[in-house]
Amino acid sequence: MSAIAPAVVFFAVAGLAPLVVRDAFLLDSLVLILIWGTSAAAWNVAGGYAGQISLGHSAFFGLGAYAAALFGARWELSPWLGLAVGAVVAMAIGLVIGYLSNRLRGPYFVLATIAFSQVLLIVGSRWRGFTAGSEGIPVPFRPGFWTLGIADKRVWVWIVLGLAVLAYLVQLYLERARRGYQLAAVREDEDAALSLGVPARRLKVAAICVSAALTAACGALWAQYIGFVDPFYVFSIDLSVKFALAAIIGGLGTALGPFLGSALVTTVETYLRAQFGGIGAGLVGIYLIVYGCALIVMVRWVPQGLVGWIGDRLRRRAVARVAP
Amino acid sequence: MHVIPQLIVSTLLLGGIYALIAVGLTLIFGVMRVVNFAHGEFLMLAMYVAFWAFSLLHFDPYLTLVVSLPLFFAAGWASYRAVMRPVIHASHNVQIFTTVGLSIALQNLALVLWTADARFVRTDYYAVVVRIGGAAFNVAQIVAFVVAVGFTAGLFAFMRWSYTGKVMRATAQDRQASALMGIDTDRVYAVTWAVGIVCVGAAGVLLAPIYPVYPTAGLQFVLIAYVAVVLGGLGDMVGALIAALVVAAVEVIGSYVIGTAWKEVLYLLLFIGILVVRPAGLFGQRGAEALGT
Amino acid sequence: MSLLSVAGVSKRFGGIVANRGISFDVVPGELVGIIGPNGAGKSTLFEIITGFYHPDEGEVRLDGTRLTGLSPDAVCRRGVARTFQKLRPFQGLSVLDNVMVGALTRTKDVRHARERARELIRKVGLSEKADAHARTLSTGQRKRLELARALATEPRILLLDEVTGGVDQRTIPELVRLVRDLHAGGLTLLVIEHNMRVITAVAQRIVALHLGEVIADGAPDAVARDRRVVEAYLGQAYVQ
Repeated sequence: MSAIAPAVVFFAVAGLAPLVVRDAFLLDSLVLILIWGTSAAAWNVAGGYAGQISLGHSAFFGLGAYAAALFGARWELSPWLGLAVGAVVAMAIGLVIGYLSNRLRGPYFVLATIAFSQVLLIVGSRWRGFTAGSEGIPVPFRPGFWTLGIADKRVWVWIVLGLAVLAYLVQLYLERARRGYQLAAVREDEDAALSLGVPARRLKVAAICVSAALTAACGALWAQYIGFVDPFYVFSIDLSVKFALAAIIGGLGTALGPFLGSALVTTVETYLRAQFGGIGAGLVGIYLIVYGCALIVMVRWVPQGLVGWIGDRLRRRAVARVAP
Repeated sequence: MHVIPQLIVSTLLLGGIYALIAVGLTLIFGVMRVVNFAHGEFLMLAMYVAFWAFSLLHFDPYLTLVVSLPLFFAAGWASYRAVMRPVIHASHNVQIFTTVGLSIALQNLALVLWTADARFVRTDYYAVVVRIGGAAFNVAQIVAFVVAVGFTAGLFAFMRWSYTGKVMRATAQDRQASALMGIDTDRVYAVTWAVGIVCVGAAGVLLAPIYPVYPTAGLQFVLIAYVAVVLGGLGDMVGALIAALVVAAVEVIGSYVIGTAWKEVLYLLLFIGILVVRPAGLFGQRGAEALGT
Repeated sequence: MSLLSVAGVSKRFGGIVANRGISFDVVPGELVGIIGPNGAGKSTLFEIITGFYHPDEGEVRLDGTRLTGLSPDAVCRRGVARTFQKLRPFQGLSVLDNVMVGALTRTKDVRHARERARELIRKVGLSEKADAHARTLSTGQRKRLELARALATEPRILLLDEVTGGVDQRTIPELVRLVRDLHAGGLTLLVIEHNMRVITAVAQRIVALHLGEVIADGAPDAVARDRRVVEAYLGQAYVQ
């Protein structure tokens, strides 16, 4: 179970930063950290808490992104509406994937999730009539809150922070409430959980649906923030992997882990890209190699992630202090 | 141009290559119970091997094929020892992310070393088109097909009649019993993994004269391989072979009927359909997918 | 009026007939033992009663309501709990959390569930280990954990699968005492057991299975001397 204090600090710092920081680059990084952190947290609901590892979450992210973009660009409606619709559609797909999670285990399920995201990628990039095909959709900027046309990055920080806190609270609920205990039992040993009256199948589907909706919401906000939806990016496998990675590095199944993991990952990426420009691309490549290796090492030897690792260190020091 | 013969020939040519990729993947799963998410990256690296051998040493790809087999085996052996051995007894999730991590590392290694620019292996005989019975196809494709079939047949013979092959099949059926019989399962896994890499490496070299070479080239092929492998039943080599032909047929006929833009959707939908209806595949054991093993 | 009624249950796996026409009843408050050599179909029967398998024929009823066809979690909610032969504690959770999972099936309140769990942990004698990770427990302790966990679901009938299996001689009497106490408290029990001494001492009735069929059903002494039972366990030569 995570302690709440570190999270309070994290979100407080994120919330107060815009009041103190003026630099657009730093604020931009903060927005991205929060968006990727929330996406990772959403993934964590299904992957960490319910134990349903998916590498196809970009399907939901892309759905949300397209929904917001289409509502804004094509139908001139509020992207907030797009966000809501995107979340609902994502939940519907989540129901299907949830159904599959009860029929398939392990690698079979992962492959199914990959297939879903790739189908959406192809549909998104080929269906000229609806989605403007492979060129993607530029998101129009219409000033105002209702149209999510916000130029001030500080306001963006607060908007995304709202969703981030929501995602954090959902995870916290999953840790402490009745459903949390039941989900933990399901991911430890599903049959044993069933024998104790835990409605494992329903819970898994519910977790995936919640995860889907939150991920779609992130996609919608991201689309409005960046101003452009590229199907090859929003539905990519790389993006799906990124959500999982941030959650794993930060601490799978912990509420703050995804945000910490995302902070680390996003910071390094954006720093490398910005500071070193052209060479930056090569450096990002090297960084990604390190990333891949780090994943291999972490998943085997530090499965509890950063949060767990730091937690262990602190606990050990606390014990050392108390012991005579 | 006669449509039917062309479709059949295209299916066979394509299917042969897919079979070679799929067979290695399914072998690894059958014996080690691991889905190698980095399989496509090994394919991509082999394509680069063919490219660099061609442009630096002026090796014909088919010469490279012969010469590189030991190299691929060694690479497989080494990657098993370094990366897979520590997690062979770990949970599915750990194994999944281990091969995913490997995939990321290898893809970006290629990106850093050789940039994202597409490379091409253009042999002199590349453009030669052969016509038989109304169907047209180029030499590279034919050779790729013939070699792929030969390779796959050789692999089947190896698995069927050699001692090592029998040991591998025994381990696939029952790890614990095999270990109790004195089989060094660790060595079996190393060999299995290496053989799987050799297969996909050979496929890569064969594909280099036909397709462009770039760091993410493995992705489209490995997705197809996953479909074939699941369709045929994870672990079933004959199943993978037949399924590869089925997938190739779907792709070729689909391209013809609804155009190349949507053909990938067809086999992806086929994939999802199989997973919903009969996840164990056409030849796999029913219920295997629910055990995850 | 029977609490659990098994009627004509049959189950085959491919060519193997695991259960064939199994029928028996369990009356409220009874402790019924199930014995039989390996492969007799005892575990399959448990899986069918608890909803993990669906029988090819026949049905199972609890107090008149049909259990066959329900999912395992629904079966538990109706009042059937079980332990496993190959112990399955939730390794990554503490003992307390393990038992809470069971308790949370009956109450939505986490605090209330925690209290219930502590009570049961005390009852099975695991109090000092309440906050320990389940993976640190010995086999005997794990058996008790499974008991406490299953009891937390407030079952009307408890199915025990080889409760004395894999446990050293000294621990057996404690476990047996625990089972006896539960029975004395009014709990109905259906117990698979290999240890004949244990089962003939605690059971009021024994059902013997062999090759998927019921070959005897009666008082422990009678069943232990039943011709077919002796033959099934020891072979033709030992039948007097």
